[in-house]
Amino acid sequence: MTGYLIRRIAQAIVVVLGVILLTFLLGHIIPGGAARAALGQRATPSALAQFNHEHHYDEPIWNQFWLYTWGIIRHFDLGFSYRNNQSVVSLIRERIPKTLVLVGLSTVFALLVAVPLGILQVVRRNKPVDYLLTGASFVGYSMPAFLLGQLLILYFAIDLHWFEFEAPQSSSVAGILADPRGWILPVFSLSAITIAGFSRYMRSSMMETLTEDYIRTARAKGASPSRVLFRHALRNALIPIITLLGLTLPAIVGGAIITETVFNYPGMGLLTTNAATQNDVPLLLGTTFIAAIATVVGNLIADILYAVVDPRVRYA
Amino acid sequence: MQSVGSGTRGIRGLGVLAALAILVLALAACGGSSSNTPGTTSAGNAQKGGTAYWAEAPQATPNYIFPFAAFAYFSVANLTQFQELMYRPLYWFGQGAQPTLNPSLSLADNPTYSSGGTVVTVKFKPYKWSNGETVTPQDAVFWLNMMKVEKTIWAGYVPGTIPDDIKSISASGNTLKITLTGKANSNWYTYNELSQITPMPMAWDISAKGQKAGSQACGTASFTSVTTKTVKTSKGSTIAPLSAAAKSCAAVYKYLDGQSKKISSYVSSPLWSVVDGPWKLQHMDTSGNVTFVPNKKYSGTVKPHLAKFVELPYTSDTAEFNALAAHKVDVGYLPTQDITSPAKTGSNPCDLSGANNPRLSGYTLAPVFPWGINYFPLNFKSTANGGQAGKIFSQLYFRQAFQLLVNQPLYIKQIDKGYGVPTYGPVPVCPTNNFATSTESNNPYSYDKAKALSLLKSHGWNVKPGGTTTCTDAAKCGVPAGTPLNISLQYASGTASIDQLMQAEKSSWAQAGINVKLSTATFDTVIGTAVPCSGSSCTWQMENWGGGWIYAPDYYPSGEDLFQTGASSNAGTYSDKKADTLIKQTTQGNASLANYENYLAEQLPVVWQPNPVTVFEVNNKLGGATPINPLQTINPEDWYFTK
Repeated sequence: MTGYLIRRIAQAIVVVLGVILLTFLLGHIIPGGAARAALGQRATPSALAQFNHEHHYDEPIWNQFWLYTWGIIRHFDLGFSYRNNQSVVSLIRERIPKTLVLVGLSTVFALLVAVPLGILQVVRRNKPVDYLLTGASFVGYSMPAFLLGQLLILYFAIDLHWFEFEAPQSSSVAGILADPRGWILPVFSLSAITIAGFSRYMRSSMMETLTEDYIRTARAKGASPSRVLFRHALRNALIPIITLLGLTLPAIVGGAIITETVFNYPGMGLLTTNAATQNDVPLLLGTTFIAAIATVVGNLIADILYAVVDPRVRYA
Repeated sequence: MQSVGSGTRGIRGLGVLAALAILVLALAACGGSSSNTPGTTSAGNAQKGGTAYWAEAPQATPNYIFPFAAFAYFSVANLTQFQELMYRPLYWFGQGAQPTLNPSLSLADNPTYSSGGTVVTVKFKPYKWSNGETVTPQDAVFWLNMMKVEKTIWAGYVPGTIPDDIKSISASGNTLKITLTGKANSNWYTYNELSQITPMPMAWDISAKGQKAGSQACGTASFTSVTTKTVKTSKGSTIAPLSAAAKSCAAVYKYLDGQSKKISSYVSSPLWSVVDGPWKLQHMDTSGNVTFVPNKKYSGTVKPHLAKFVELPYTSDTAEFNALAAHKVDVGYLPTQDITSPAKTGSNPCDLSGANNPRLSGYTLAPVFPWGINYFPLNFKSTANGGQAGKIFSQLYFRQAFQLLVNQPLYIKQIDKGYGVPTYGPVPVCPTNNFATSTESNNPYSYDKAKALSLLKSHGWNVKPGGTTTCTDAAKCGVPAGTPLNISLQYASGTASIDQLMQAEKSSWAQAGINVKLSTATFDTVIGTAVPCSGSSCTWQMENWGGGWIYAPDYYPSGEDLFQTGASSNAGTYSDKKADTLIKQTTQGNASLANYENYLAEQLPVVWQPNPVTVFEVNNKLGGATPINPLQTINPEDWYFTK
């Protein structure tokens, strides 16, 4: 297992470096370059030249890449966003807790709802409950997040005044959690789609597991239906959900752009999107770097969890 | 196949568990705290106190406090809606719905010009800084000294103008006397040059924390003692300080700029707490939440009625509209997509009104004409289209035909729902102002398809409506025979009304066989592409960033930034000797804008476009907030709540 981990971490470093390099190169082909993006339309050629010189943009691109990478290694310096007048690190540090709460809560909520629903559908397979939940899943999955979020706001926040029209504006995790009237609608909005997806995976996975030989053996030995379901089938049926959760980690860091946009919740998704649309090269590099790390870490955790959940899985 | 586990207790509990999770959320909601409704006041008609909430535009949050903003921070959000609440410019522009000089809010009396327009005299009013010091002419010299050293950083700088055109300055008592190197048009100098100056307190004349106020020489030095030299390199030119005073200005700028990069420290900073405006900062965070409280030592005539003025950030138009619908802001803007009824105009086209969105009861609609023009440049140096694009654009008849097919009134009616103003030349025609001439206001190129086709045909083009028009007579066309009218136009993505406008115009141009290929890119990519260029790599043809130009802080629409040969914002490299002469006459001579304006309106240096109007919503219980100024400067000190 240790050897496996070392190999995976080495692979992860290569992947992250590759992602940075690719983003770095793409960021340098935008018209006007980082200087024009930072200084805007009125910037004079001499101001652009001065900016490029001060920030080493007039040096060979490989040298720029080396300076950037070395800055990360030495001081975890991801550069400065002129658009936001802040360092990239401080921007990410400020936004990540917000996104962690939003996506984290919605993922937990989705799991709490989707796993039981998936199992219930299997138990009531081809019965009205199954059809109803399948239909609801399809509706939830196909519902645009933007529309769902806006409908929830208009009805529950603006018309009924049950909730806030926007997510909590605090920057701290405690401050956000202390305002449930603010976070319930965005969490529910984001969860609806996840629940739909997770419950479908859970349903099909559980159905497949229940056809396995060891389940038939358990039943033959007289195990009760609930024991078969929860003690023998559930653990293996959860493996696809673990894969999904592994892929959720980048989303937790990457944010939920649509939900953030509708609910006035400036998290990582909005930060990344704005960096891309505003050609804010240092910020785009920074958020991509963090997302790349989250992706490889998420996949690594999922692989390790496979071994925990399924004893047949062994890494050499 | 056997049904699995039906009827067991554990399975019944599954649905319960899922329902429980939802219930937990609902209960949590019931236990949550409610937020305060903004704008609530105690009884009485014009109330003292209360908090007014202002909605910032998406992605336009203030983030720079030092009123010497470099290009990166030169925005409405930073200057007019943030810095100027605390640090008043020497001259205030915006008077009611007019973009004119406002003497009552200016720190000095109107300037006087003597010696044939070469000497400007400014008499300061008795304003005070919040630390008790008087706002003096030397405070303006402090800004000008810094400008001399850091002019390439200041976004309003145009080579040859302020401070390059200042020979000497004397500051004595309450009088500032500026001697210029040559004659200046008084309107132009007041509106475009003096308009840039913001006096700075001596408390800022430091280059390190803990230094005594005024310890650097930048604030106290005379203008002539600040000397610099221009260092030319292969990548451009920079300004290097020469004298000790100049070096101290550079050090002070570096320190103040550095302090401006610490947003979370603005409130506690001893620097930024010295203000001469009616407001002081009480809270500010990096997300754009800003709270102002009255400056109790404000020496201006109108003291704030409100207890607090709060600016709130929004992630999108949708989020801002929701805030309005929830009555959480007192002044916000109505996104175009949420305008439900078309605007009506009376006898004056600059007087718009209309029914409000039904969700926004309790608000009054307040359309505001921007003090700017909308256009997109065509690249006169473009080597695209077989090297002929720039040559085609250089033909006046082509530009006329192209403009004749732009039906601005129709697009305003159908796309902007009536909330727009046409652009027919370099001077805004609305709000009603003394600068726009009747020639420009009456549109020299009203939509006329037949005339457009006729112009092209008479200049040797084989016009193929719906197809591609090609040149058949090189002598008349001005380009080789066989050249097709194929044009690429890139525009900024993300705004539905610009998408619609571009598609409508493409269809209209197609009627004359002008084949316009549209593409989209981000706003920043478009402005990064639309820059003056030359040579074989200069291939862009037309670029539309969708915003044209706002005249601020160059309020006088004299065009030296935009249409003068070699101007940095002359994106399409338009060059016309007569236009240059006329611009010079409006800036250095006594000429009014009329000749320049009429000539440019007819010459079409760019493609004039309809300009959307910003539609504000103002809480009915908030007095003094309208009319909102076309420069979008805000004066919450005038605002008050009514019962």
